[in-house]
Amino acid sequence: MAHVGHRVDYLAGFCCPVGGLVSGKPRVLCHENEIYLSNGSEFVYVYDQEGKVLKAVYKCPDQVWHVELLPVPRQLYILCAHSGIYCVSLDQQSRLMEQTDGDGQESNCPSGVFPVDSDACIFPDSTLCTFTLLNNFVITLSQAQGKWWMKLHELPHPEQESPPYRQISEVGFCPGPEPGDEGDSPPSRFLPVLCCASSPGTVGSGEGLWCSGGFVLEEPLFSLLFGIDAAMLESPMILCGFPDGQLCSVPLKALSSSQAADGCHDVSSQDPPVKILHHLEEPIVFIGALRTERRAAEEEEAEDEQLFGDAGCDCVVAVGHYGKMVAVKADQREEATVPELREYYLRGPILCAACGSGSRMYYSTHSDISAVDLDWVNESSDPEDVESSTGVLPPVLSPASLSICSVVALSLSSRASEGESELLALSAKGRLMTCGLCSPEEAPPARLTPAEAGRRIKELLSGIGNASERVSFLKKAVDQKNRALASLNQVMNVSAALLSSQEGQKPIACTVTANWSCLLLQDAVTISCVLENCSEYSLEEGWTLCVQLLASPCALEEESVDSGTTFTFPIDQLLPGNKRELTLPLGSAADTKLDLPLTISCALYYSLRDILGSGSDSSEALDDFFPDDSPILSPDREGICLPLSERTIDMLQCLRFESSPPGPAASPPAAALPAPTDPVETFLKVSKEQAEPDGAKDGEQPHAPGDGNLPPSTASIRVSSELLKNALKSSSSGVPLSCATLRWLLAENAGAEALRSGEVASVRGAAPDGGEVQLLVREARKGLAPRRNALGPRAVGAVLGCRTEPPGQLRCRDGSRASGWVAGPPSTNPGLPKCCSCCPPAPGWAASPDVLVSLPARAVVASSGGPARHTGLGQ
Amino acid sequence: MKRRRRGEAPEPGCLRAWAAESEALAGRWRAARGWGPGGAAARQQRGAFGELLLRMRGLPAALTTLPLELTVLYNSLLFAMGASDCAINGESEEICQGLLRVLEALGASGQDLSTEELWQKVLQEVTVEELQAPLHRLGALQGAWWLATNRLGSITGLFRLLSSAEDPGRAPCSGGKNELLSLLKAWKVPAEGASVSLVQSAEDLKEILCTAAAFLQGLQELEAGNLPAALSLLEEAAGGFCSKRVLAQIYTCLSCCTQQMGKPQTALQHLKRALQVDFQCLPALSHAAAVYHELGEMDAELEALAVLYEALERNPPAAASTTPYCLIQIEHLVHTPALASLFRHRHPSEVKYLLAQRCLQDGRVADAVEHYLDFLALLQDGLQQQVPLDGGSALPRIPEVFLEAASALEQAGRHQDAITVCEEVVSRTADLIPQVLRVEERSEQPECPSPGTELAGGPLSQKRESLCCLVWRTAAYLHQGWAWAMLGKNKEAITQFSRCLGDLLRIQLYQSGVEPTGSLIPEVNLLQKIRLLSLVGRGTQFLELGKHREALLDFQHGLQISPGDPAAASYLVQALWKLNRKQEAAARWQKLSESPAEEDGQQEGLGRRVARPYPLYLVSCLKQATFPHNESLARNIQDYLRTATT
Repeated sequence: MAHVGHRVDYLAGFCCPVGGLVSGKPRVLCHENEIYLSNGSEFVYVYDQEGKVLKAVYKCPDQVWHVELLPVPRQLYILCAHSGIYCVSLDQQSRLMEQTDGDGQESNCPSGVFPVDSDACIFPDSTLCTFTLLNNFVITLSQAQGKWWMKLHELPHPEQESPPYRQISEVGFCPGPEPGDEGDSPPSRFLPVLCCASSPGTVGSGEGLWCSGGFVLEEPLFSLLFGIDAAMLESPMILCGFPDGQLCSVPLKALSSSQAADGCHDVSSQDPPVKILHHLEEPIVFIGALRTERRAAEEEEAEDEQLFGDAGCDCVVAVGHYGKMVAVKADQREEATVPELREYYLRGPILCAACGSGSRMYYSTHSDISAVDLDWVNESSDPEDVESSTGVLPPVLSPASLSICSVVALSLSSRASEGESELLALSAKGRLMTCGLCSPEEAPPARLTPAEAGRRIKELLSGIGNASERVSFLKKAVDQKNRALASLNQVMNVSAALLSSQEGQKPIACTVTANWSCLLLQDAVTISCVLENCSEYSLEEGWTLCVQLLASPCALEEESVDSGTTFTFPIDQLLPGNKRELTLPLGSAADTKLDLPLTISCALYYSLRDILGSGSDSSEALDDFFPDDSPILSPDREGICLPLSERTIDMLQCLRFESSPPGPAASPPAAALPAPTDPVETFLKVSKEQAEPDGAKDGEQPHAPGDGNLPPSTASIRVSSELLKNALKSSSSGVPLSCATLRWLLAENAGAEALRSGEVASVRGAAPDGGEVQLLVREARKGLAPRRNALGPRAVGAVLGCRTEPPGQLRCRDGSRASGWVAGPPSTNPGLPKCCSCCPPAPGWAASPDVLVSLPARAVVASSGGPARHTGLGQ
Repeated sequence: MKRRRRGEAPEPGCLRAWAAESEALAGRWRAARGWGPGGAAARQQRGAFGELLLRMRGLPAALTTLPLELTVLYNSLLFAMGASDCAINGESEEICQGLLRVLEALGASGQDLSTEELWQKVLQEVTVEELQAPLHRLGALQGAWWLATNRLGSITGLFRLLSSAEDPGRAPCSGGKNELLSLLKAWKVPAEGASVSLVQSAEDLKEILCTAAAFLQGLQELEAGNLPAALSLLEEAAGGFCSKRVLAQIYTCLSCCTQQMGKPQTALQHLKRALQVDFQCLPALSHAAAVYHELGEMDAELEALAVLYEALERNPPAAASTTPYCLIQIEHLVHTPALASLFRHRHPSEVKYLLAQRCLQDGRVADAVEHYLDFLALLQDGLQQQVPLDGGSALPRIPEVFLEAASALEQAGRHQDAITVCEEVVSRTADLIPQVLRVEERSEQPECPSPGTELAGGPLSQKRESLCCLVWRTAAYLHQGWAWAMLGKNKEAITQFSRCLGDLLRIQLYQSGVEPTGSLIPEVNLLQKIRLLSLVGRGTQFLELGKHREALLDFQHGLQISPGDPAAASYLVQALWKLNRKQEAAARWQKLSESPAEEDGQQEGLGRRVARPYPLYLVSCLKQATFPHNESLARNIQDYLRTATT
């Protein structure tokens, strides 16, 4: 493949769908300085090549299949899929544009997008497949009733005001055995191709014969191809290339089939004047014409270039999608003039092609644009050679590469002057470019001197070195990208598995439980996270399990700062079906203050930096993402974060039930520091003062904490026994209600086995900070002073929070250090306070309190002033 | 009636709402159709009815709703059939679906049955009184559909069922005149219920069906050649209910029928009536011209053609505009190729050509020249003027038109113009004739009607086309030769005749078969004639130049080609006479005058031999080649013989 000298300029980029543009429908037209472009979407763009700006965009109602330009009244004809042909006047539009510019941005399409509305539809016909223009005639091809219909319409003259588009004649024909009967739409993605061939003396050729893609065909060929009648009528011929590969010709002046005047379509008897010229047996994507005998003509009349230009083309070509091409040229032999027809095989699939005024045809495949030259002078003078290679067409074609890949629409620019022509191309990625073409004569045939040759060789060698370097670099990059793609694939699989199971059981689950264990000879509460992979994908290297501990914000603490700590555990590999258990201490009773309840969020995190291979410092980066005060796991900063579970660990789960309570040594020192707004204090204060129940919300400043020798705090809550019975129906069979309630309260405590066996109504345990807690449930009799706020004068020392989940199910969640729970009636609205409340949240819930749950919290207050807050264990 | 329980009745509220909606739609249509073309309105209505139907079909079929559902189906199908120009595609399935719904409500199954069987089953099963009327109406629509698709057997069967279902006691009326027609007429139109309104009444539909059935069958009989049957059916159709346009068509068909029966005057009467009913019925005018042609009334024929041309020029035939009143029209139902060919739309160019051709045939040379020149100008007119070239066209091949024009010009004395016109033919054919054209003298297969010139097509048709081009080219030279001769330029004339003869040498005839079975290819025969005429022509020019010897040679050659040709023989005698070979001349002349019968019947005799007359463009050449000095030569020879014997 020889290279043709060329220069490529990118003009503009246009939007394109994900898979790139598909050939067939995109189209590039050029007239004077303007480029008219459609990329197969519903937009048609007008681009000013001189000013390099997009002048206008037209938005059509449907996908654009074909665009033609009529330069004389400056009109654009647009065929939209399944709707018909729309006519847009460019002059009018530019006036409109000036107007809107003057008015300011009034219109709702700000950037010059003009909607093409249905008023502009001049041929509403859903069966239209393609059309072409010939001066003021429109030739349409549609497919209906198992036939192709070619219709000739006359456009109104510009001076006449909106007369109907008169249909002059039509012809129906079915070339070949089956014209695609499946449905009314074209059977394949290929549309037929139309092209107009005129004879040299064609009617009206005097002033501005316009037909884009059309050509004038020189005489012997015209008569030979289309017959003497068409030639004598000087009728323009329409060449149709069909998706099934047939190449037909129809004389426009004799476009009629034997049919009755009443529009009955029963054409069966007579052949219409449609001739099948050739069958390419593959979808025809292009029909064009070339002037091949340039040199011979130039020798004769070298100076008369202009006259030569008028002579028209002497060779017709049709190109099939899969690379078959046929060329027809008149061969004026001595005995007779015959049309020579030659088939060539190019490397397909051919997306589009274009012909200029010369002898070269350009065609585009996915990988390249190539030029083939059909100029071939049979220069052999000896008679034997003539025998072997008769004909006027080259026996083989040698394509020359232009090194521009995947171009879906081509057109030769009419702007080009002085011999140099310019190829306009629209790539599959929606980029519009021009490619200057120098004619083959300009290729430098200079002979090199030895010195020059040496330099050239050196240049070549260094070029080769550069190239190999570049190749290895590119190879590395490609490998890296492959790896990244594999990782991404894995990440996407995991994400998809997790995200698609939002509601139900997640395939990758993290269960969190609180335990007491002995760490470094100290008893401490630990949290164990069990990460279980039930999905079918393994968690590969790069995933990180993030566990964030977050003290629940308390409504009582107005200025409370959410304190969170994040632990990260890199996961090397977790195969499907495997588990991994991770334990992290919450702090021993001695040295840390535990802010219960704790919200524990688990998430899987994947850093996208790792994918790109530059993530060596990812752990630091991750800390940047999750500063200690970040309220939640940062979901999407430079990584993928998949939340797994959120769990609240409360006092009830951390209570330790043992025979031997912790010794006094373990009891915490008296609080020295004023804890920032301890809700318990607040509550106690509120309770003592018998203030109105809403007092908590006032955020009064707490008193100084107690000195440690206060009597044990007690808090009691009344709950309707009906409610409890109802709620605990399943678990309370055969057990007294009080015991069932207690069991339910401590269901999530791992150490509360004792409750499972015996019927107990009260239990005693140790809080993580060493305080002693007793839970007592008993059933109260009726008339036990149901007061409005449900907390009797004895009820002190408990701050309670409550949450109701779906009606009928009770769940408890304590507010702070003290244990307890409040249940609302099932119908309570979901807007209950999240954390603390001293009053029944709704009037209904204490209406008939039969059960009194009393929570003596003796040691609660003593622990209220713990040391500084618990911070990042993971550091 | 016990079946009624099977279908579960939907809420009466639903039924009432549907009925109201259907009523509203029908009312809106009635209001809209008074206003003008109802294309858009009809489309809208069709959509609305279709939507309603879809909603009703959303529920299982129930006997209580079926009458309404079938009526809505009827209305929606009327719009569908009226809206589509002629091809009625999906309507049959719609009807089938409606019938299946009926069967569903009855608890029966109708899968895998053809439409005919489905109808039979439905009409047998349904005993409910309320369903009868909608079913019958639907049956009429089905009939219309079958008529439109030319399925006369199916429609006959259906109406047999419908009338027997209605009146089981009556024996199906057999044979008689025309079963379908009598069945249609006997069909009792179900009374239109007060509850549901129809957009086109069943009464209308019945009338349309009757007329269309008569028309269609008449056309079929006409095509089959059963003229009396066709006549009676068409007369029946003409008496029926139809639009003016269709009535004019029926009259035109009647005229064709009577013309074929040998009653041209009656045919003319029918055509006159057709034009009275609808003066836009232009095919009637061209038929009238044909009848006048048959009657030999040239003036009337030319007048008819001229009027036709004027009408076509003034208002080009517009697309059929449907009247807004009837949704289904006879135009929708009658489609046959016969009708299509009878009512072929003539282009102005065709009519112009016919005018020119008739004038030339009749010898009205001046008029012919005018018309031919008009026609040639029309060819230059652009794409608006279509020149049909397909098989049904009145036009011959374009080069022949040019040659005829040249012939007319020549006869009118415009020799120079004739030469110019012929030059066009000569130049156009230049590249299309090979140097050597080997042609089998007798064609093996019957000649194909259209000389298709597919590029990649068979070499036979290609050769045939080359042969035609050769004929035209040589004929053009012949005309040019005679024209120059008329202008008195003997040398130019001789040049043209020589070119003609030179081109004729390109053809090489050979005989392939052992015995000549096929007939002589007409073009070959024509080429022989042209060679003869050309030789005679050149001979006469030589005679005028005094080159008697050359002239003699040409005449001798001519006689070799066509041994009995009187013109060549007479010229030969004259040439011999002028060469002073009087004895030979006298002998020849005696032989010639012994066969006077052949001389008289020359035209006819030749015509019989080749089974076709010579093309129109050769007639003037034939005339020119006749020997003009018969009397004087005869006298001279007789004088000579007398003196010789004495």
